Amino acid sequence: MRPGVDGGLQTLERWMQAVVMHPEGATAGLRSQPARRLIPRAASDLETIVLPSKALTSVERLDIYAHMYYARLLEVLVAEYPTMRQMIGPREFAAASRRFIARNPSRSRTLNRLSEKFPDYLARTLPKSNRNGLAVDVARIERAMEDVFDAPRAEPLTADEFAAIGADQWERVRLTLSPALRLLKLRYPANDYMNAVRSGKKPRIPRPRASFAIVYRRGFQVFRREQEPEQFKLLTALASGRVLAVAVRASVGGRSGSADRLAARLGAWFREWAAAGIFTGAGSGK
Amino acid sequence: MTSIPNRWRLPDLGLGVGLRTQHFRHITERWPAMDWFEILSENFIDTEGRPLHYLDQIAERYPIVMHGVCLSVGSTDPVDFGFLDKLAALAKRVRAKWVGDHICWTGVAGLNGHDLYPVPYTEAGLRHMVSRVKIIQDYLERPLVLENPSTYLTFAASSMPEEEFIARLAVEADCALLLDVNNVYVTCRNHDLDPVAYLDAIPYQHVVQVHLAGHTDNGTHCIDTHDGRVIDEVWQLYARVHERTGGRATLLEWDANIPAFSVLQQEVKKAARFRNGERVAAKRVAA
Repeated sequence: MRPGVDGGLQTLERWMQAVVMHPEGATAGLRSQPARRLIPRAASDLETIVLPSKALTSVERLDIYAHMYYARLLEVLVAEYPTMRQMIGPREFAAASRRFIARNPSRSRTLNRLSEKFPDYLARTLPKSNRNGLAVDVARIERAMEDVFDAPRAEPLTADEFAAIGADQWERVRLTLSPALRLLKLRYPANDYMNAVRSGKKPRIPRPRASFAIVYRRGFQVFRREQEPEQFKLLTALASGRVLAVAVRASVGGRSGSADRLAARLGAWFREWAAAGIFTGAGSGK
Repeated sequence: MTSIPNRWRLPDLGLGVGLRTQHFRHITERWPAMDWFEILSENFIDTEGRPLHYLDQIAERYPIVMHGVCLSVGSTDPVDFGFLDKLAALAKRVRAKWVGDHICWTGVAGLNGHDLYPVPYTEAGLRHMVSRVKIIQDYLERPLVLENPSTYLTFAASSMPEEEFIARLAVEADCALLLDVNNVYVTCRNHDLDPVAYLDAIPYQHVVQVHLAGHTDNGTHCIDTHDGRVIDEVWQLYARVHERTGGRATLLEWDANIPAFSVLQQEVKKAARFRNGERVAAKRVAA
């Protein structure tokens, strides 16, 4: 087989992909080991693979595709992480995005999940600092917003359906949480920080403090909201499939003072959650 | 010149524009005059959020054509039948008039570059693509409508011009063509080719749709950026295509620096001048 000349189509495609997806551009891509392994002579004799035009050399023509590859995918990340980008600045964001894309090229035909590993990647690779720790948490919230934007639709329980769950059923009823809900345990008060930034303020970078947030879609609008630690614990228990009574005992039982106070807190939380539409079903079962 | 109907008798839908997020609200509040919309298929796959909600409403009132960017018909990876199932489901949902993509590959070895990479125009490349298009058409049970992409490089291995490759692909795979007149212009500028000769080689009985768009001229080369108005030279080429076809569904693409919907309406309406028999002022088409 003579790659690129008589039908080594697979070799030619793999070679071009290796060249144009190289994070340092086509020239570096041509010299890279994967590209040289596929078509060794291309590095020194490129014109036998890609013709020059009147105005551009062969490598300049490949560079058009190399540039567009990163520009297009960076555009996706810029749209998905506006607050995080604002925090670390466009240059640092572009550099981190480029490294991420090089390590995590798209394997999907849609771009919806391109950046699903981006927050974890940032957590592993950004130098440790309060700013970067907060930036990772902000990225987790912004990624969750993307997830719930695309999540499957499910009708929330109506107020009547919710009210019909009597206290006598708590020992056996399990609540189904919306597929368009994400529970986020964070190291910084990132949701508050985002609220401040998005309202035009320039907040200081806060010190680490555990915080809890939910991100959810109601109708077709995405919301995010801070949660009290016990609220979050209760939702986590419900999400893991615990029956209502067990979830309540595991989260707030024994630590909320009087029974009246506990009932008042639970009532307020469930009203808040029901209004947010985060429950989509209630069923009995062991 | 005699006009040539397309061999599937697919309808001339008139003048349409690409459906973009920025215009969802305007369209669903005002239901503006527009003959039809084209959607980017991948934007409505693997999501059940707001875009699909708007699309459902819009598909109730306007004809929809599905145009994808990731089918990768030229790839040497196996055909992704799971993705075809998703395309088929979306086509059924929006009652798509037809389903299309590009004559290109977008990734290999399981990766996706989300770009339209050129294939070498060789006999082997043609055989490969004809076979893939037939498999996809059989699976979808409809003709695939494939677009000539803008290309920025030529493989030394190519043994035939792009237009011959496309013409033979259309005939041998019996697929439909989406003739992007702006891409013809951009490709011909980038490869020092004659766009009129390119157009004259197209089998018009296979053409069911035409694209118009703006591009960026960098001097040394043009990039298909879809970020502005259609230039006069491209209108000239469109007039020539219209003469040959007698009318095909025509769509304006505008994907960057997206203006108000009314600007798109005005721009695409210019095509009506040619469809009604007017000619643009004589201006030499750049060869």
